[in-house]
Amino acid sequence: MVANIKDYYAVLGVQRGASDDEIKKAYRKLARKFHPDLNPGDKTSEEQFKQIQAAYDVLSNAEDRKLYDQYGENWRAVKAGAGAPPPGWEQRAQQSTRGPRAGGVDFGDFDFGRFNTGGQGGFDIFEEMFGGARGRGPRRGRGRDVEAELELSLEEANRGGRRTLQMQAAEICPTCGGTGLVGDKVCETCGGDGQVLRPKTIEVNIPAGMRDGSTIRLAGQGGSGTNGSEPGDLYLHIRLRPHPVFTVKGDDLELELPIAPWEAVLGAGIEVPTIDGKVELKVPAGAKAGQRLRLRGQGLNKRKGGRGDEFVRLKVVVPKDVSTEERSLYEELKRVSRFNPRS
Amino acid sequence: MWAADVDLDEPLTFDVVATIVGAKRSLVVQLVQQGLIETIDSETDEPRLPRRTVVRIRRMQRLRRDLGVNFAGAAIILDLVGRIEQLNRELTEAQRQLQ
Repeated sequence: MVANIKDYYAVLGVQRGASDDEIKKAYRKLARKFHPDLNPGDKTSEEQFKQIQAAYDVLSNAEDRKLYDQYGENWRAVKAGAGAPPPGWEQRAQQSTRGPRAGGVDFGDFDFGRFNTGGQGGFDIFEEMFGGARGRGPRRGRGRDVEAELELSLEEANRGGRRTLQMQAAEICPTCGGTGLVGDKVCETCGGDGQVLRPKTIEVNIPAGMRDGSTIRLAGQGGSGTNGSEPGDLYLHIRLRPHPVFTVKGDDLELELPIAPWEAVLGAGIEVPTIDGKVELKVPAGAKAGQRLRLRGQGLNKRKGGRGDEFVRLKVVVPKDVSTEERSLYEELKRVSRFNPRS
Repeated sequence: MWAADVDLDEPLTFDVVATIVGAKRSLVVQLVQQGLIETIDSETDEPRLPRRTVVRIRRMQRLRRDLGVNFAGAAIILDLVGRIEQLNRELTEAQRQLQ
């Protein structure tokens, strides 16, 4: 992923003559604030951390730091043995605090992108590369694995199905072939990163019975590999949107059903929602407030077949406003009833 | 167009998890003994680990490497971040319902 990196020292907030300990301390302090594992889904933090990591990777390595101090933005080309830096490098390196671009910058285990659904409404997602190459840059061997979050409705997760995702995926730069260099210069297409972001569409087959926290692996859909090596994998973590009606309890669903006092006393057949549509529930005569009724097999699909149950919790609701006729009926009930709830 | 999927809730052995995360088996055993990763009881002698454990261990490794915290600290961090995420989702949903 290409990123515009400011002066590495400025990124870490240290002086040019800072000691190794000062650099490490500054890095740790910033990492605690912007680390992607502490700020999942926060794109701003992700970008910040990439720059911090890039700066630290260079400044924590004595050899790289020395080259960076000497050659500025061309240090990586010099290190790669691509020959002398281009004319005017000295002036540019010394005059500017803009510093180098992300020429082949190693973002450690992280890279991030963005997904969109294929016309099915938006969902928030964060993408996190976590290093098939064991924490080193994407140019060495297998492509990076990517973690992402996919938000689904309860219904979608339960029935499964196909989803089309659009993502910005890092691919090997077509200009430099992943080397980050064209001749003796930093590749202008990728800024020396060796990778470029390209829109990519993938279809995901979501198995029925997914739950909040389930994970799907899409083999080969992570970062591109280099030199013919295999790409990384994409891990999709499923997040369920809260449902307006149902509460999920494992494989079971729960819902609260308001009923009238006379329905509780006399019993009733009431239409209740299930994950598949409405069914009629028989409320027995003499039902109590808080009583749970089970609709067997109306819960969520289980991963290995079968279904959970739906539990309906009865809530007796009394009318706020009563008509004159209703009031007289209640008065009559009060008169004739021998029921004492406190006895 | 391409599509494939693998269920990551299938349990894995300690050895397989250790290989995937590039660690020694003894580390995985220690993490289990300290209660930092969950296990799935198995009919065999050794419990298994859910595949999502791979993701958790990798996050712990990153936090250890980048922040200098130990595995116990990383586990607490991840648990707290998870709780914050959950609360944020509930807050968002509550705000949505109020509107």
